[in-house]
Amino acid sequence: MSASIGSGAVSAGCRILLAVLLCGAGSAAADAPLPCADTDPVPGLDTYYGNAWGIDHHNTREQPRASLRSDNAARLSLKWTYRLSSTTPRSYPLVTEDTVFIGDSGRGVVALDRGTGCERWVHEHEGPISSAILPATVGGRPALLFNDRRRGVFAIDARNGERIWHAAVEDEPVPWYSGTPLVTDTAVFVPVASMEVGLALNPFYGCCTTSGGMAAFDLNTGTKLWYLPTIEEEAKVTGRHFWFVEKHGPSGAPVWGAPSYDAKHGLLFFGTGQNYTHPTTDTSDAIFAVDAASGAVRWHRQFTANDAYTAACNNLALNHPNCPDPPGPDVDFGAPTMLLESRSGRTLLVAGQKSADVHAMDPETGAVQWSTRLGRGGIIGGVHWGMAASESLGLLYVPISDKAITGFPSPGEPAPGLYALDIETGEQRWAYRRDSRCPDEACVYGLSAAITVANDVVVAGSLDGFLEVFDARTGEPLWSHDAWRDYPAVNGGVASGGAFDAHGPMIADDLLIVTSGYGYVGRQRGGNALLVFQLSSDDD
Amino acid sequence: MTEPVNLAGRGRRLAASLIDMILVPTLTLLLVMVTGVVEHAEDYQDNAWMLHVLGLAVTSYLTLNGYPLWKSGQTLGKKMLGIAIVRAGARARADAGARADARDTQQVRIEPPPFWKLVCLRAPFFPLLFLVVVPSLAALPIIDQVLIFGKRRRCLHDIVCGSLVVRLPRRR
Repeated sequence: MSASIGSGAVSAGCRILLAVLLCGAGSAAADAPLPCADTDPVPGLDTYYGNAWGIDHHNTREQPRASLRSDNAARLSLKWTYRLSSTTPRSYPLVTEDTVFIGDSGRGVVALDRGTGCERWVHEHEGPISSAILPATVGGRPALLFNDRRRGVFAIDARNGERIWHAAVEDEPVPWYSGTPLVTDTAVFVPVASMEVGLALNPFYGCCTTSGGMAAFDLNTGTKLWYLPTIEEEAKVTGRHFWFVEKHGPSGAPVWGAPSYDAKHGLLFFGTGQNYTHPTTDTSDAIFAVDAASGAVRWHRQFTANDAYTAACNNLALNHPNCPDPPGPDVDFGAPTMLLESRSGRTLLVAGQKSADVHAMDPETGAVQWSTRLGRGGIIGGVHWGMAASESLGLLYVPISDKAITGFPSPGEPAPGLYALDIETGEQRWAYRRDSRCPDEACVYGLSAAITVANDVVVAGSLDGFLEVFDARTGEPLWSHDAWRDYPAVNGGVASGGAFDAHGPMIADDLLIVTSGYGYVGRQRGGNALLVFQLSSDDD
Repeated sequence: MTEPVNLAGRGRRLAASLIDMILVPTLTLLLVMVTGVVEHAEDYQDNAWMLHVLGLAVTSYLTLNGYPLWKSGQTLGKKMLGIAIVRAGARARADAGARADARDTQQVRIEPPPFWKLVCLRAPFFPLLFLVVVPSLAALPIIDQVLIFGKRRRCLHDIVCGSLVVRLPRRR
């Protein structure tokens, strides 16, 4: 078009004027939403790039269908940005051959055209969506499963977003559904935490009576199959404060993370958090192996004893009656367990703890094979959301947060960064220590979000807003993107980047997909950007 | 028109209000503790606990403010500061009382506004209600209080309720 104008008999002044007008129009077009009217509302559902929070049931977080490698990572560039409703996005996307499904808290589940970011459909849902979006077949229908943090697990039709069923745990009064469920051919397994860890902030609350747990529901109907509390013993009154308010115990041992699943032996593995009150139990800060068919405990192993802690244990809340006395270090297993095969062919159950310890166990017995400590740990980790592994390289990748929060004790020297351990031995192979981008407290710079592996690269997002690709063999940084900025969004307006936290990046073919912004804890920078990067087209 | 009654000073009214603003939530917290409405996990399965706390707050208000104002024109705070509310329309009678007081030390005969006005018209201006329950209307109590700088020292809640706040003569 410009060529025809240029070749016409128009004056130079007119050409300049036209050029200015066209540039202005072009700029306006760039800010406006892409034309999405022609977007097919029916998503392709032939190929799923993962079937669990950990991409596979072993929670390796290794994407086998990826073209991102160390020799082409520098060619990543931003393809499109979608503006989410929540400034604390907490959903992990599910990718198919042409669609990205993601939860947008306060709005619902959205199905986006993978190439353009245009909406195919929106399943409206008011509550906070707190999990990965999972593929399933429910009663012969292609379905998606997700958690509402307060209301439980939902199944919807993947073709159009219609609700199929909703299931919730009725065994606990105030369950919190923070961990992503795990779906098999017949059942869905739902981790259960408890709101009591936060309710304890109310000094008139009689902390605490609830237990964490794992629930199993029939995949086709959503009916309960079994529920396993992590504390079998019923809480009893242990004392009083303010004359009237009764204290209770034992309580706590929530399950925050997705389970891993050994289909061959029919076993689920998951970790627990701390107790909320005394007396403590031997099931807190522990790893469970559970029969998936019956919910029977095969074994459990505790790694930190006598860890009782609530949100009331803040130095700023002097002598809060709902802080257990003595308080523990709050070193949950928040990150999901992993089933990994070492280079010698040995299967290990690996778990990362908020203490910054990583443990490898025999999945049959729970016997510890090795333990390695990588940082000082703390209430936000240590290991917080999740690790990743490359079994072909024989390496386990461990993100360390070591974030300090005002009012909460954080003794010791922080060591935030990315670490590679030998799966077989736990020996450290390389480390990439991160530095702060500024002295402000908001510039917390550790790696709290889960990380992802593909081919010979590791992708990690930091709390101070950097998305980075590392060489998986050496730890050499290959590519970086600073997300502390605004992005024009395909659905109109501007999306804000912020801290990388929670579920972390997804990789699919030549795409790198991640939510940016997470203002939930401390002074992290919130944001509402779903960022989709793509390798440039001259890549294979 | 001259004001025949001895209007309560702004400082006394502020002090009395502050005392009441401490007493009402204190009683509310005490009731919350005694009744245990926010003590158990089951209370948080829905948002009903908020209604329970609001109910206790209203009970506290009626116990410490609404009922005593209706009965005697005085809350504890007002009693401590020697002031009371009277009907604006009963000014003449109060005035007569004041003159009587000046003559023979009799007390002012207090005639508070009707109970429904105290509860339905006056109580909604209680500042804590807005700060806690309807924060978006927090400016209303500010407007309410600013009017005390008028000549007759009537806050918005006095005007709506048809009341005056008067200084009581000292007992001998």
